Amino acid sequence: MSQHAVSFSAVEKTYRRPRLLGAVYFTGVKDLSFEIPAGEVTGLLGLNGAGKTTIMKLIGGLLFPTAGKVKVFGQSPQGGAAKARVGFLPELPYFPPQVKPGDALSYYGRLSGLSGADLDAAVESAMQRTGLEPHAGKRVSEFSKGMLQRLGLAQALLHSPDLLVLDEPVSGLDPLAIHDIRGLLAGLNADGRTIFLSSHSISEVEKLCARVLIMVRGRLARTVKRAEWEAAPGGLEAIFVEAVR
Amino acid sequence: MKKIFSLTGAVAFNSFMESVRNRFFTLFAVFAFAAIYASVLAGVMAVDQEARVLTDFGLALMELVALAYALFSASSVLLREAETKTIYLVFSRPVPRSAYLAGKLAGSLMTSALMLAVMGLMHLLLLKFRGFGVPPGYAWALSGSLLKLAVITSFAFFVSLFSTSAVSTLVISGVFWTAGHFVTETRFLAESSGGAVAAALKAAIWIIPNLQLFNARDAAGASCALGPAAFFSAAAWVAGSYLAAVWLISGKEF
Amino acid sequence: MTRLALPAAALLAWSAGAVVSYGYYHSPFPPPSEIRTPAAGAAGDMFALAFGARRLFADVWFIRLMQYYGTPELQEGETESSEEAHERINSAGRYPDFLARARHVLEIDPGFVMAALYGTGSLAFNMGRPAEAQELLEYALKYSPREWKYLNVLAAIGYSKAEDPAAVAGAITPILKDPDCPVMLKQQAAFLNKKIGNYAAAAAIYADIASTSRDMAYVRNAERELQKFSKVLPAGQRRD
Repeated sequence: MSQHAVSFSAVEKTYRRPRLLGAVYFTGVKDLSFEIPAGEVTGLLGLNGAGKTTIMKLIGGLLFPTAGKVKVFGQSPQGGAAKARVGFLPELPYFPPQVKPGDALSYYGRLSGLSGADLDAAVESAMQRTGLEPHAGKRVSEFSKGMLQRLGLAQALLHSPDLLVLDEPVSGLDPLAIHDIRGLLAGLNADGRTIFLSSHSISEVEKLCARVLIMVRGRLARTVKRAEWEAAPGGLEAIFVEAVR
Repeated sequence: MKKIFSLTGAVAFNSFMESVRNRFFTLFAVFAFAAIYASVLAGVMAVDQEARVLTDFGLALMELVALAYALFSASSVLLREAETKTIYLVFSRPVPRSAYLAGKLAGSLMTSALMLAVMGLMHLLLLKFRGFGVPPGYAWALSGSLLKLAVITSFAFFVSLFSTSAVSTLVISGVFWTAGHFVTETRFLAESSGGAVAAALKAAIWIIPNLQLFNARDAAGASCALGPAAFFSAAAWVAGSYLAAVWLISGKEF
Repeated sequence: MTRLALPAAALLAWSAGAVVSYGYYHSPFPPPSEIRTPAAGAAGDMFALAFGARRLFADVWFIRLMQYYGTPELQEGETESSEEAHERINSAGRYPDFLARARHVLEIDPGFVMAALYGTGSLAFNMGRPAEAQELLEYALKYSPREWKYLNVLAAIGYSKAEDPAAVAGAITPILKDPDCPVMLKQQAAFLNKKIGNYAAAAAIYADIASTSRDMAYVRNAERELQKFSKVLPAGQRRD
């Protein structure tokens, strides 16, 4: 088994936008190499357009690298074996407004290969962990943004993945919801799960992560360990500002 | 293999339930209103031909209502799932894209079948209310409509994977639908013309599925029974569209 | 290689569908060169073909044909002789486009037997245009060569030319119980039976018209005739 949950090796992703005559190309990430150690919480920081979502999608197997290699637990992220070990939360996940959380989770549980009693237990456990149980009878249309984010997390947890890939998990949430989700993620990490999250909130990343990757215009500008930002005057924010300027 | 069927079934059932939640059955009210209106008109204008007019109008309207829903749904579902990022939650799981597509297609066909069955029942009740029995070959007519819908829906799924918008998918599929009913006329024109025109028309005959093959509602009585060739051709065209769609979606990024 | 396997399989499947369809399907419909669309109906014919709704649009053309021919109802209290009523309902001698319109119904749906019988019956027996009736019937027979009702009407036209009303009535009689028999033909048969003095048969046909038709002009005429027969026929032969 690989000791790295994720490894990027000289990865490049170029997007192609078709035009009337020909196409335009722009770079999402370039010459990107890093590893995410198993069992750690790793954060991804960067300004808009720095390539954070591209990295998340490459790990989730939603994008294919133009060059280089992406590995998830030593395997291609497009393969079923790697996907079975990954829980993915996109930014602002969508669920049909008429469904109840249990129904939505049952569907995604089935897609993760669960069925019967295992599925019921997984749905119940995910609802419990994310604090959705009291809202089981409500429809998604009645959910607040925070509850939707919890539901998004719950669907990512259903199949007990070894790696959680979370794109902006606390984006737009109120302080109480942020606090709850932070507690949940810390608990999951304590269970031995690897967490890779992107965020615009430096303070959140600072509180949760052991390491942080700072992306600038599609390239990895810095990798910072907790000890470094704790020792630095101005903390992680000062390091980030210096890196992106 | 069992796992693939299970995943396909899960996507199909979810897709079907989404249609039910989207209240597609409001279209039944449109159908009922149009059918009753036609019944009143037919009673006045068609006199002794009321049964035939009501039957023909009902069967044609049913097919068009189901076609409209199936095409709107097939042309927008993949785009919508990509826009709302729902597809991320699916493709970040160990779900083969072929199984996802098969499930979406099956869900759409289940919806079409339910729509035809419910509208058919409403139509037969209206006929009974007007004092008429079940028209001959009625079940064949509905089966033919379902086969047509299967062919055009799978084609719309394929088109939606390369077209730039739901509207262009709708337009292309709509043109295909109408052209599919013209295949026999195209065949005649190909046989009676020559040169490049004949070659182009013959090519069109091979590319465009002959929807008249399934048009049991336009044939009379016993002659409307659909033969094995109709079922084979429908299956082959659906498989052709499906495989081409799988080819496109397997290289698609989200 | 794997990338090529899927499109190749798709093409193969699509071609298999086309090959089987091409070999199996034989259109029962007239070729486009035979469709003589009246200018005002071109859009309707396009829809008929494009949406595979030939039967529905043939129905529309047939309703237009009936409207063209017309069956005005009698005013309340108005009386007329049975010959007058027959002439009035059938309005002989006019309608120059009748053949073209009737043929167009069959061009769209050649399986519309009732329309063919209505058209030929009207032309032959009401308008006195047996040549046109024969032309229409020959067109109908081209697409339904085994339709026995057409052969009976063809024979009836022959007898009509020979001025043999009994034989005309005899040729039409087997068609009367068929669901495709137009009420106009029933009326014709009843009228001919009455003309040759076969009142019981005429009364039976009028009773059938009165109980099955939804065309009130024919129903009222039949009821009037039945009333007359009730005075002439012995009790056992009355159908009212």
